[in-house]
Amino acid sequence: MIDLLWLVPTIPVIGFLILTFSCGKLPEIPAGIIGAGSIGLSFLFAILAGVDFMSMSEAGIHSYSQTLWTWISVGSFEAGFTLYLDGVSLVMMFIITGIGFLIHVYATGYMHDDPSFARFFAYMNLFVAAMLILVLADNLLLLFMGWEGVGLCSYLLIGFWFKDPYNGYCARKAFVVTRVGDASMALGLFLLFASLGTLNIQELMVLAEEEWVVGSGIAIAVTLLLLGGAVGKSAQLPLQTWLPDAMAGPTPISALIHAATMVTAGVYLIARTHVLYELAPSVQYLVGVIGMITLIMAGFTALVQNDIKKVLAFSTVSQIGYMFLALGVGAYSSAIFHLMTHAFFKALLFLTAGSIILAMHHEQDIFKMGGLRKDLPWSHALFLIGTIALVAIFPTAGYWSKEEILASALTNEHGGYLLWLGGVAGAFMTGLYSFRLYFLVFFGKKTHDGHEVMGLHLQGPLVALAILSLIGGFIHIPVEEVFHAHAEEHHVSLFYQAIMIGLPLLGVLCAYLIFIKQKLDVEKLAGSGFGAKMHRFFFTQWGMDWLYDRVFVFPYVGLAKLNKKDFIDSIYNGTASFTRYLHSVVIETQTGQIRWYTMTMALGVLLVISIGVFA
Amino acid sequence: MSTDVLIDLLQIIMLTLTTVVVMLVAGFKREHGLVNVLTTAGLAASLLVFVFVDPVLPLQATELLYFDEYSLFFSALITLGALSVSILAYPYFESHNSHNEEFYILLMTATLGAVVLACSTHFVSFFIGMEMLGVSLYAMIAYPVHAEKSAKFPLEAALKYLIMSGLTSGLMLFGIALIYALTGTMFFNEISPAIEAQDLASSPVIIAAWLMIISAVAFKLSLVPFHIWTPDVYEGAPVPVTAYLATVSKAAMLAVTLRLLLISDAFQYEALMLVLTVMAAASMLLGNLLALLQSNVKRLMAYSSIAHLGYLLIVIIAAASIPGILSVESMGFYVAAYFIMSLGGFAVISAISNSGKELDMISDYQGLFWRNPWLASVMITVLFSLAGIPLTAGFMGKFYVFTNGLQGSLWFLLTMLIIGSAIGLYYYLRIIYAILQQPGKISKQDPAMQAIPFGTHAVLGSMTAIIIYLGVYPMPMINILQSLAAAF
Repeated sequence: MIDLLWLVPTIPVIGFLILTFSCGKLPEIPAGIIGAGSIGLSFLFAILAGVDFMSMSEAGIHSYSQTLWTWISVGSFEAGFTLYLDGVSLVMMFIITGIGFLIHVYATGYMHDDPSFARFFAYMNLFVAAMLILVLADNLLLLFMGWEGVGLCSYLLIGFWFKDPYNGYCARKAFVVTRVGDASMALGLFLLFASLGTLNIQELMVLAEEEWVVGSGIAIAVTLLLLGGAVGKSAQLPLQTWLPDAMAGPTPISALIHAATMVTAGVYLIARTHVLYELAPSVQYLVGVIGMITLIMAGFTALVQNDIKKVLAFSTVSQIGYMFLALGVGAYSSAIFHLMTHAFFKALLFLTAGSIILAMHHEQDIFKMGGLRKDLPWSHALFLIGTIALVAIFPTAGYWSKEEILASALTNEHGGYLLWLGGVAGAFMTGLYSFRLYFLVFFGKKTHDGHEVMGLHLQGPLVALAILSLIGGFIHIPVEEVFHAHAEEHHVSLFYQAIMIGLPLLGVLCAYLIFIKQKLDVEKLAGSGFGAKMHRFFFTQWGMDWLYDRVFVFPYVGLAKLNKKDFIDSIYNGTASFTRYLHSVVIETQTGQIRWYTMTMALGVLLVISIGVFA
Repeated sequence: MSTDVLIDLLQIIMLTLTTVVVMLVAGFKREHGLVNVLTTAGLAASLLVFVFVDPVLPLQATELLYFDEYSLFFSALITLGALSVSILAYPYFESHNSHNEEFYILLMTATLGAVVLACSTHFVSFFIGMEMLGVSLYAMIAYPVHAEKSAKFPLEAALKYLIMSGLTSGLMLFGIALIYALTGTMFFNEISPAIEAQDLASSPVIIAAWLMIISAVAFKLSLVPFHIWTPDVYEGAPVPVTAYLATVSKAAMLAVTLRLLLISDAFQYEALMLVLTVMAAASMLLGNLLALLQSNVKRLMAYSSIAHLGYLLIVIIAAASIPGILSVESMGFYVAAYFIMSLGGFAVISAISNSGKELDMISDYQGLFWRNPWLASVMITVLFSLAGIPLTAGFMGKFYVFTNGLQGSLWFLLTMLIIGSAIGLYYYLRIIYAILQQPGKISKQDPAMQAIPFGTHAVLGSMTAIIIYLGVYPMPMINILQSLAAAF
């Protein structure tokens, strides 16, 4: 059945085409069936391919590629539309189709009664298709196509409710900021091709190992440029500013694109090209440092947000920081593992947040919630499960993956105490901000009535995700063969183990003391002079947006204003008006009068004959 | 007369038979539908006859007509055009509250003339064919003149065409007479040896004779400076007739002209080449400039046809210095492509027009995409093809022209081609822009929302399919053209 692999990305494309060409005339139920069903089918074929792949694996074959057609063939360069399946892309494929399916099902309930229901699912299907192409591509060009495809869908879906100009602004911001990273990535691809003459990923890895010296300039340049693409897509420092704004989209989008799949594409890219990063150890260390700084900064920012989705958004940035940290210390399988478990619990958290938002009639401010545990028992239970998985409490899915990352940070040769300490501090922050959110929403004084929106298509996916969040840590991901050298067990002493288990709990305890027992008056702290400044500083993402506006946006807008009457335009405008002028001259000859017409004929004959005879 | 000759003549016999039958039926009973069906069936039958004709080629049938794959190809194209026009004419004239039956007789005689042109290798059949086509066309253009309410000004258009056509016929005859007087032959292939034998090649009289014939041809093909009638006649004629004028009459004329120039070795006259070059350059430039801000689609098509014939002339001029095979192949492709896209375009105009009201202003097409996506898609395909956008037949045609120009090193003409195409894109896109704009109010009476008869759908569908097919997979067509070009 593995030869049906091509169906996995194709079925969502078909779903997209059907939904698009229905021109919005399709009623909600068939549109929902096509939209979610296509992903379901795709998931089914992914499983079939996966089963075959596992039996192939046992027989010692660890990768499978399927060439559909030659896409581009110019000179010596050939890029096929070729799908490549190995352990990593298998895991990614399962996450995308599996979690994607659950989110699609949930979305049929969440988007109920939206006038653009079919359009929503059309975009979602297109997104899944593009994401699958991204992870299944066997060459970087095809990967880049998927990469840009998911970027486009992300833009379309953030601005899905485009009637509100603010949503359009957010979509644009996400698009432009990630484009900065994409430009860097494109340069990286050009450089790779210029240097090694191919873009096939597997060939590249072999060639690079043969031809490049460790720490050579070319390796550093390529990996830096690719890293630029990765930090853009995965919202890491310094291109993380778009992700919180991306929350303007419908909540299922935030779950699917901006938590579970697309934003982890950067992690996938680095894991996929990890051989290159090993040839540039300094850049690899930088990846870890970026991850560490991002995870701490985002943790602080998450602590002071008041929008439920923004807290989760910063938490996503922070968790991807962990994955980068893992990549930086060479723990690729841990990074992919955390990617998977994060997809489980963050999708759960976002979707539950969506249910809460629905129940509160589209209220997202957590200070206007409070005391909801009685009103929303389902959401409460599910959100709690998601939260403890996020905080990495033993033995939830999040614990296993995060523990693996922190242990590698400590023991791997690339790691060290600095990265480990950063990670552990982040774990404390995670406990603190997650339970702050939980306590503020579900405990405390009740201010508004909530009313749980029920339905199998709403709660069903949530329960499935909750189960995965609890036991997903025991799933074994078959990536040893891809990262062969890096599958060893980590042995850390009990002392460190205790710290890693204990610090998140300490964070939870602090949150409990502050927000339930009110041992510390947060409002007073935030109201005091220094506190207010710090609050503001954290709240505005450490002033990054402010800084970027000053450094990039304003000067650029200024320049554009200066050159408002672009002088180059006048060349084209001049050509156009000259042509129009010529038209006005020659059109005068069409008088409609037959005497003039016959005269032109006579003159014409005269002209023709005199040219002929005298020339 | 041998059987083979009879078989060859079968298509002409079929067309004549249909003409007579239609005439008789119309004489006994006025029944628009019946006459239309008979005409359409007769044309379809004469298309089928080609299957029998093909094996016995090539053959001289009587002194006047020569049948080979070349003439077969153009005859097929002509018959196909006439068939489409006959299908389009029915709904158009059905709303016409006068007698419609005679229109089909004229259509048949015009087609007969056009087929004769395609098979002609002799000045007499050239002239007879041209006049048969021309005289029928005068009446066809003026056909709705008795209608209580006619869409346009058919009489004015017909008169203009008649007077100017008369002028050119005289010119043509004069040219033929001069050649006959000097060489004593009217066979295309005997002209060149006769001129060589008497060493007449540099005689001004011969050159003048050629130039007169070329001027007459240029009138029929509406090349600058003989183009001036085109927009008025295109606009004034009923749409199906305009379609006929733009396709059948041009293709027939081109077929005979290329054959004449190739086998009578006319390319040796530098003066002739110079005149053709001037005509080509002026047509490309003026045709496109004239079309630039035109607001009437039929007039715009007229100007665009001037430009397209200018492009085609590049192929004919290049034939002087490159192998005849490539010229014939290229011209065959371009003519077929232009034929199909013009028919498609006029079919769209015809679909939303009737003899009482024609919708031919660009403003009528505003928002067509939202009112009738099918018609709009056909029109957009046609316009893309006319503009030479890849994956359409028009692109392949233009590619051929370009290849010919490059091989013949016609740099000046190629420059004009590029400038002309750039200007052309503007006015084609203007229509597409209008089509895609949001419509104002959509009323139930909107002609674009009315049901379109099946025949029109068939024409629209097949033309669109051929445009895309030729653009995406031109190989079968190229093979056909290469085999027929091998004779040259």
